[in-house]
This record gives sequence, C-alpha cells and structure tokens, in this order.
Amino acid sequence: MLSTRTDNPRVAISAGPRSAYGEDVLVQAPVVGRWRRSAAARHESYLAWSLLTPTLLVILFLVAYPFFSAIYLSLQDKMVGAPGRFVGLDNYLSLLRDEVFLRTAWNSVVYTAVAVGLKFVLGLTMALILDQPRRFNNVFRTLLFVPWAVPVVIVALNWRWIFDDLSGFLNNFLITFHITSDIISWLADPRLAMACVIAVVVWSGTPFYSMTFLAGLQAIPKELYEAAEIDGASALQQFFFVTIPRLKTIFLTTVMLSTIWTATNLQFVLILTRGGPASRTEIFPHLAYTTALGARRLGMGAAISLVFFPLLVVLIVILTRRMLRPADE
Amino acid sequence: MARTTSGSRRLLKWVGNGLLVVLLVWTLLPFYWMIATSLKADREIYGFEATLYPHRPTLAAYGRLFGTTPFMKYVRNSTIIAVGNTLLSLVFGCLGAYALARLRFPGRALIARGLVVTYLVPPALLFIPLFAVLSTLHLIDTHQGLILTYLSFSVPFSTWLLMGYFRSVPLELEEAALVDGCSRLGSLVRVILPMSLPALAVVTFFSFTQSWNEFLYANVFVNSVEVRTITTGLSLFIVEDVFFWGPMMGASFLSTLPPLVMYLIFQRWVVKGLTLGAVKG
Repeated sequence: MLSTRTDNPRVAISAGPRSAYGEDVLVQAPVVGRWRRSAAARHESYLAWSLLTPTLLVILFLVAYPFFSAIYLSLQDKMVGAPGRFVGLDNYLSLLRDEVFLRTAWNSVVYTAVAVGLKFVLGLTMALILDQPRRFNNVFRTLLFVPWAVPVVIVALNWRWIFDDLSGFLNNFLITFHITSDIISWLADPRLAMACVIAVVVWSGTPFYSMTFLAGLQAIPKELYEAAEIDGASALQQFFFVTIPRLKTIFLTTVMLSTIWTATNLQFVLILTRGGPASRTEIFPHLAYTTALGARRLGMGAAISLVFFPLLVVLIVILTRRMLRPADE
Repeated sequence: MARTTSGSRRLLKWVGNGLLVVLLVWTLLPFYWMIATSLKADREIYGFEATLYPHRPTLAAYGRLFGTTPFMKYVRNSTIIAVGNTLLSLVFGCLGAYALARLRFPGRALIARGLVVTYLVPPALLFIPLFAVLSTLHLIDTHQGLILTYLSFSVPFSTWLLMGYFRSVPLELEEAALVDGCSRLGSLVRVILPMSLPALAVVTFFSFTQSWNEFLYANVFVNSVEVRTITTGLSLFIVEDVFFWGPMMGASFLSTLPPLVMYLIFQRWVVKGLTLGAVKG
C-alpha cells in the first residue's frame, strides 16, 4: 500500500493535502511542511482573534451597535421613557420644513468652514514663526501649544467669563482704557455671538494645526531650500514652491480630521451661548443634544445628528485610507 | 540680489518676532484672566470696582471651592475614570495591536480599517443610542459606565497607534526570542513593549487626557454628584445664578493642571504621535 502510492507520483500529488494525515507523511517532506504551516496558521489565527476580542467587543457594542441603533431610532418617534412608533422618514421630512433646522444647517456650515479656515491660517503662521531660528524657541513652542492640553469645557467657561457683560475681561479692558464707553454684550448680540464662539473654537484648536504643520516643516530637507536659494528663489517663492507642496499631505489630513471634530463638537456652543441668541449660534450637534435631552425626543435627536453624517462619511473614508497607508508600507 | 535676499530675511525675522508676541498674548491672556480672577476677592471681580489684576490677592476663592463645593469629589471621580480607562486602553491596545502588527489571519486588513473608522465616528452621533445601551445595562450613574463608554474612543486610537509602532520594531529581535522558546505573549511583553515606550507614553497621555477632558458622555450618562466628573461639575457652577466666578476660575485652573503637567512631561513623544496624524483638535 505504502509502496504503491509512493511509486505513483500522480496519486501522491493529487492526494497532497489529504495525505498529510496519512501514513506517507514521513516520505513526503514538503507536505509535512504544509501540514505544520496550516496548523500554525490556525493557531496564529486563534491567538489573533483572542487578542483582539476586547477591542472587537468595544467596536461592536460601543460604536457599531449604537451607530445602527441611531439609524433605527431616527425612524421612530421615540421619546425618553416611552416606546417608539416606526414613522419612516417623517423625522427627516419634518426637519426639512423646520425653520430652526434650516438656520442650523447654514450656521453649521459657516461655523465649521470659518473655524477650520482660521485655524488653518493661524496654525500655519504659528508653525512658520516657530520654524524660524530664534533663541528660546522651544519655550515659545511649549507656551503656544498649551491651549491644546486644556479641557474644552474649561476653555469655554474661561472665555464665557472673558466675554461677561458686566465684569468680563474684554469690557473691563475696553472701558478702563476708554476704547468704548458702552458695555458690549458679546455673546448676546446676534451680530457678534457667532464670531465670538468661532474665536474660542480657533483659540482652542489652533495648536493642533501648528503642531502637525511644524512637524511637517521640520521634516523638509534643508538642501531643498539651499538649492532654491542658489537658483535665486525669493523667500516667498521658496514658500510657495518648496514648503507648500511638501506640506500638502499634512494639510489635507489635518484639515479633514479637524473638520470632523469641529463640526461635531457641541461643548463650545453649549457653554457659551446654548445656541442663542435666537438660534444664531445653533449648530447640528447642539440641536441634536437639546432635542434629545431637553425636549426628550430621542428619535428626532438621532435624526438631526445623522443628517450631517453623510458629509462626514466622505471625510472618514478618505482619512481611513490615509491613516492606514504609512502602517501598510 | 544677495543683499535683497538677506534684507527680506531680516524683515521676515522681525515680522515673525512681532507676530510671535501677538500670538503669545492671544494664547496666554485667557490663562492670565483665569488665574487673576481666582486670586481676587468678590469685590474686585464684579461690578464697577472690577479690576484688571488682583489688587489684594487672596486665596479666599480656593477656600470656598474646597469648603463649600463638591470639587474634591469631582476630582476623585475624574481620576478614577481617567486612570481606569487608561489602564484598560493600554492592555486592550497592546493585545490588539500585537495581533494586527505581527500575526497573520484572515480579516486583518478589515479590522485595521474598522478601527480607524471607529475612531473617526464622532461621539455626537453615538450619545443618544449609547444612553439606551447604558440604561439597559444599568450603568447610568456609575464609574464603570463612563470608563466603558470612553473605551469607544480610546481603544481604537491606542490600538491603531501601537499597531504602527509595533510594526517598526525589527522582526529579527522577536524571531530570536521565539526561537529561544519565548511564547508570542512573552515576546510581546519582553521584546516589543520595552522597545515601544514612547508609543506607550503617547497612549497613556491621550487616554488619560481624553477621559479627563471628556464632557458629552459624562454630562449625559451621569446625574449623581457621587459620580460626576470635573468637566460636568464645573459647568453646573454657572447654571445656578449665584456669582461664583472666583471659585470656578480656581477650579478651572486646578483641573487644567493634570493634563497640562502630562503634556509638559510627554511633549516630545506627543508631537511625534501627532505627526502620525491622529489627535483631537
């Protein structure tokens, strides 16, 4: 039996994997290798899945399940503490007719675009300044990056106090130095409120931009600038033809990450203005928050928070690809 | 030509210095106002006698903060939750990242992708259904509830960051350990972790500060003073219409210290972690 099979090469080959468990194992060395490898592969696979179990549980139960249940919730008229009724797209449709919602949509776009734009410009300026040779630059860098470490809630509370009508720093300062004689209601004035909220968002978020930009700037080889210098390029030309192209990837990643976080952060609005005056500073995440928890309409709240999600999906998909790229190389 | 270049360089330098001063004032002014307010007596804080700097510095606000408010309780709760979350994130992150970086198995790429997507899904989208999840599990108003929900952002980030770092540890080192009879987990602990200390520092920093700074979940999932964290506790100070800015600015200053000190210690690695492109801002 043993001899017939080994004598016939065709049988041995066609029986390849199965013969791994057979008696001719010792004769067919490559098959032994394959048998070992597949068992090892299976073992490795088991090990991998068991190591990943906690992480997967977190993803499944704390992100995936809530995400899909948000979609399901948004199709119901569920209130806190009461069972919901399936209403299809009613929540979404009634949002489109809601004036506050439409104003919120516009506010959210303005808020996100202006805040991200300003953070970008200010962050790049900060990074370029810190990249110049200067004594004590590391001290300045540390100081300028400090807002990044401050909890957002505390940033917002602190600025609310700066903007305070009667006793805040701004009015106090302006009146002491006779720049104005009237009290300015920074956060209650419909024309000023949004600008003030954005200023706070920019204060808090700029260091993130400067940090990533500065790291990018410092990674540009100095030879490139030397070569440009020899070719007679001015500082401005060097900036546009050496610096900017080199930073393009970092620009994109930073802006996309920050757009997601800026657009979905409700803490600034919640603490500074609560969406007021007259919904002038109302943005999606805050409206969802007040609808779900203030008005206790969970279904509608979920619908509001999901409305802006399709836009974020685009960013998330692109970012996921980018964030995995260096790891895959 | 050469002269104009050096001239414009010098000009740029002075423009840079000028802007630096402006940026420093803009950045540091809120800190000044925070600390100054916390050192004033009420008379100097409010109304017509309000001052731009404390004329008679006093620690009375801090006395009121510790004497009459549950601030210390908030500090305790924030600490429990931040430390618990950090420990779990480190353990889960290391195990998961090792599997993704060093083991071959079907579905690896998919999970890596899932991690990043998970990290990018904003909490503003999840807090409503998570509230329902925590209610069913009877975890509303518990430390465990918050530690658990904070894992939803700290674990994906930690795993992703560590995965990148583990991959950069030379394979040969680990193979040597495996040949010497080390198990997979043994080589993770003895070979890879000691070489990944910077990444572990970054993960510790982010898990801790993100938990410490978190507000939305803490606000929605906790009502009781016994579990309330600093961020939600502080924002409640203003809801009451009492003039409370002195103690509040004191509390703000004190609660900024832990993340700030951590940032100063971990600064070097944190910026490196940032260049991987992944921090809230």
